[in-house]
Amino acid sequence: SSTDGPKSAHFDICSKNLKYKFSENAFNTNILKRHSGQYYTLPPTHIQKLFPYGLPPRFQLQIKTFNEGCVMVRPPALELISYLKRADYSKPPLRYVLYGDIGTGKTMSLCHALHYCYSQGWLIVHVPDAHLWVKNCKELLPSSSRPSRFDQPIQASQWLKNFKITNERFLSKVQLERYVWTKRESTEKGQPLGELIDQGVNRMKSSSDVVGAVLRELRLQAGGATEGEGAFKLAVAVDGVNALWGKTSLKKEDRTMCEPEELTLIHNLRKMMKNNWSGGAILTALSQTGSVFKPRSAYLPSELLGEEGFDNMEPFVPVSVSNYNEKEFESCYLYYLDRNWLQHPHSRSEEGKKELIFLSNKNPSILERLCAFL
Amino acid sequence: MAASVRHLLKPWTPSLCLVRWSRYNSYYLDPDPSKDARVPDSELSPEQKELQELKTVRRIKAALSSDTSSPFSDPLMSKFINMMMQDGSKILARGIMTQPREEIECSPHSVFQQALENCKPIIGLASVQKGGKSYQVPVPLTDNRRGFLAMKWMITECRDNKHRRTHMYEKLSQELLAAFANEGNVVKRKHDLHRMAEANRAYAHYRWW
Repeated sequence: SSTDGPKSAHFDICSKNLKYKFSENAFNTNILKRHSGQYYTLPPTHIQKLFPYGLPPRFQLQIKTFNEGCVMVRPPALELISYLKRADYSKPPLRYVLYGDIGTGKTMSLCHALHYCYSQGWLIVHVPDAHLWVKNCKELLPSSSRPSRFDQPIQASQWLKNFKITNERFLSKVQLERYVWTKRESTEKGQPLGELIDQGVNRMKSSSDVVGAVLRELRLQAGGATEGEGAFKLAVAVDGVNALWGKTSLKKEDRTMCEPEELTLIHNLRKMMKNNWSGGAILTALSQTGSVFKPRSAYLPSELLGEEGFDNMEPFVPVSVSNYNEKEFESCYLYYLDRNWLQHPHSRSEEGKKELIFLSNKNPSILERLCAFL
Repeated sequence: MAASVRHLLKPWTPSLCLVRWSRYNSYYLDPDPSKDARVPDSELSPEQKELQELKTVRRIKAALSSDTSSPFSDPLMSKFINMMMQDGSKILARGIMTQPREEIECSPHSVFQQALENCKPIIGLASVQKGGKSYQVPVPLTDNRRGFLAMKWMITECRDNKHRRTHMYEKLSQELLAAFANEGNVVKRKHDLHRMAEANRAYAHYRWW
């Protein structure tokens, strides 16, 4: 804290309250409602492993600048984590949908809850943005296994690589089934999961089918083993779920529009969304920014998911994410001051703060962009 | 006499209207959007009181849509954005301008001002014709001209001399940082100008103004 004069005492107290350095053991017990509005730091090893691609791009820039990733504890994330703590994992998984206006922090809350799951030792299946699978794909191959489907080898192999980085300790899991890829290649029964993933990464042609196989294995095994080494809980986190049931912007070779069901990756992910397995949780977030053919003002689940999506996702637990309230805005402002992010002398005064409130309407992303160039 | 005064007081437009001249009569005063304009009467000196009264009576020009009363606005920055703007897309120019401010982490505001200060030439060259031949004569520059030249050089430098695929804001931020440290192409251009003026200082007497 570099301010001088009578403000410094107040400032020191605030900055002590601002940040907690959480150790892994302390994490699950210490996050309580009274910490709402305060920041906690994500350990850098966790960021590298868990979120090589999952965080919003502006937040990644912020991490690079500040040399640390600090996330604000907010009520939606707390709600999610409390549900996860209290859920019964012998029953089918609960679906949680984070919804809210643009820039209010849905992806960040999702990542927060995902970090909780990771620190509890769950297996993470994280799709950072399902919209990326539904638009701008450069290669769309007809599927090798089924005639009416299309593969996306680049996206699938990218996702498999990231999955490998995140879940390294689970790679020695034993598989159940035998999969045949081509006439000469097949993966035998009882081989570890790591080999299956390597197969997908190396042979790009069958990578989408490998993704499907991996998801199927995890579904079968999640609730299977009860105690001992084999037990693990599965967290499926999908950002931009509305991509699964909307339209795509991809075209087939005869220039007709592609339906989402015809894409292997989307088809397999939809199967994951059904709750016919047990032993985990499905965390999702809606997203309008990447979505195809949706108006900018749509943010409610019924609007973004569409009829089909809503019917498929129902029943789900909706969690609404909104703009900062007074206390959270205070906390964010103090954090930026603490990090010397607000350089303009006027922004440090009371009037400057009021102006920031007025300009950003306490919307987290707009506030971040404003403060970036001040 | 009354007729001529009335002629002055009436808002009129010149019959010959050139493109870059203001359409306003000189009778109009400039608008002052800052919040400090409202000061209670007791604190003003008699001249300032006169000025205030004048402002309440005389006509004032319309404010531009880019004028704000907040201290966050910077007249230097606005000028630079206007110079960088093409085809009237102020939004694009402002967007390009905000990005180097994000890139430059430590006090972008003062870095920007200091960089432009470092680029301002002290002395300029004017072409004077004497005896059929035109000579480059070293000439003092007004403040406005110096600031304008600094900004112009910065923008042309960023537009022309960089690699094709880099974005404007990247080029700008690199150039601003270099100028802040007194290196880089723009400061080199300023030094070249100074050297030329120094070399031509024999012709300084050709200046009659």
